Amino acid sequence: MNFWIRLNMFCRSFFLQAGWNYVKYQNLGFTFVMLPFLRHLYKKDPSVFPTVLQRYLDTFNTHPVMASFCYGAMAQQEEIIAKTQSVADYKEKVQDWTETRRALSITAASIGDRLFWGTIKPLTLLLAIFVWMLMGVNFFEIQASSQPTTWILWLVPLGVFLIYNLLTWLIRWQGIKISYRSDISSCFGLTYFDWNKTIYYLKQLGVILAALLIIFAFCLYFATMEQFDIHFIAHTILIAFFVLFSFVTHRFKMPNVYLYLITVIIFSIVCSF
Amino acid sequence: MMSTILFLSLLAALLELDTTYAFQFLVSRPIIAGPIFGLATGDILAGIQVGVFAELLCADVSPLGGIIPPSGVIASVVPLALHHMGIELYFGFFIGIIAAILYSYIDTYLRKTRFTWMVYVETKIAKTPYAVLHVLGTSLLLSFLVTFVFVSLAIWISMWVLAALFPYLNFHLHLAFQLAYMAVPWIGLATFIPIFRLKTR
Repeated sequence: MNFWIRLNMFCRSFFLQAGWNYVKYQNLGFTFVMLPFLRHLYKKDPSVFPTVLQRYLDTFNTHPVMASFCYGAMAQQEEIIAKTQSVADYKEKVQDWTETRRALSITAASIGDRLFWGTIKPLTLLLAIFVWMLMGVNFFEIQASSQPTTWILWLVPLGVFLIYNLLTWLIRWQGIKISYRSDISSCFGLTYFDWNKTIYYLKQLGVILAALLIIFAFCLYFATMEQFDIHFIAHTILIAFFVLFSFVTHRFKMPNVYLYLITVIIFSIVCSF
Repeated sequence: MMSTILFLSLLAALLELDTTYAFQFLVSRPIIAGPIFGLATGDILAGIQVGVFAELLCADVSPLGGIIPPSGVIASVVPLALHHMGIELYFGFFIGIIAAILYSYIDTYLRKTRFTWMVYVETKIAKTPYAVLHVLGTSLLLSFLVTFVFVSLAIWISMWVLAALFPYLNFHLHLAFQLAYMAVPWIGLATFIPIFRLKTR
């Protein structure tokens, strides 16, 4: 696989989910990503193309960033298939290819979902809120207020954008390269990096940061209250209620959006009396 | 007013593609999309607040497998567009969340519909491989158009409905929506600890 094919696959990988459907998931996107490599590999024998594409159009579902490990590994396996001499050998290699694709897509999805959706995304949200609050943005008023000039506030979304994208672009690019050069013993390069340990430490950091942010938000919220009176006590009880209520509903797997809608209904009933 | 709605709908439809179908630079996440819509409507602070609140509410649902979380883009653009037209943010946010939930059902329907032409598409791609480009292009265009129409309609309808209801919205209802709106950061922040503690390994 030369640099230009890898670059082409890298650019196309941003459209992996463009044809997402409920039965074969990312199969169209996967075919689209692999097309430059397949065209290069089978340029001397284009007659086999329809048969090859049928395999790629089968069910495929993984995490869009970690999918890069599947592209390289599948390309490497496809080269092995292209070199087979007998029908029996071909069938065996195709079987290996199918099993590798299934196993690798599940492993990559598991890592990607936990790392990106379950850790990095909420962690960057926490950091963004923290930095905005340190900049003086007060979210706890009906109309948010702030001291700094607005252009400084843009540093936060810009920072979040850069952190996430630099990391994912690096994984997307290196994933294709590493998995293409590795073999099954290292799970096509997936075991070169200790993903579980990274996720574990990042989650620990997340717990600490979340606890700190809640304490910081409490302090900031009450600092804006003018005096210790019945309103102060009522607000404290209300906040404590919502924090506890949120913990409880999370245990019952009720999404926050529905909790918010329930809150609106509760307050509408309470306020009408 | 018409041009603002169309511009915001266009921007939202473009950003919504980033959520799942193309790029995934996460420009579509509310903490980035919110300030962008805020800039477009002339109130960046409102954009930041709505962005943070929308993302806090959506943070506990991840797009795993076939799960489609409520759209953060819709939850940000609808309140800010309504706010730009003089409607209070706390009412707009409520409508934005309902629109975001509704949109997730429409997206589910779109993804299911896509399968109905899958057999035809697969045969076509196997014969002419570059047909995949047209298929994906059509798919992206369809998603873009659906989002554009949905956002435009959501803003239009909610604007007229709220304008008609406004004389009947008494002080108690305003207070209820304000309190619920101010509860959002606490609801969101409280779920962070379970989010990070669950499935640690």
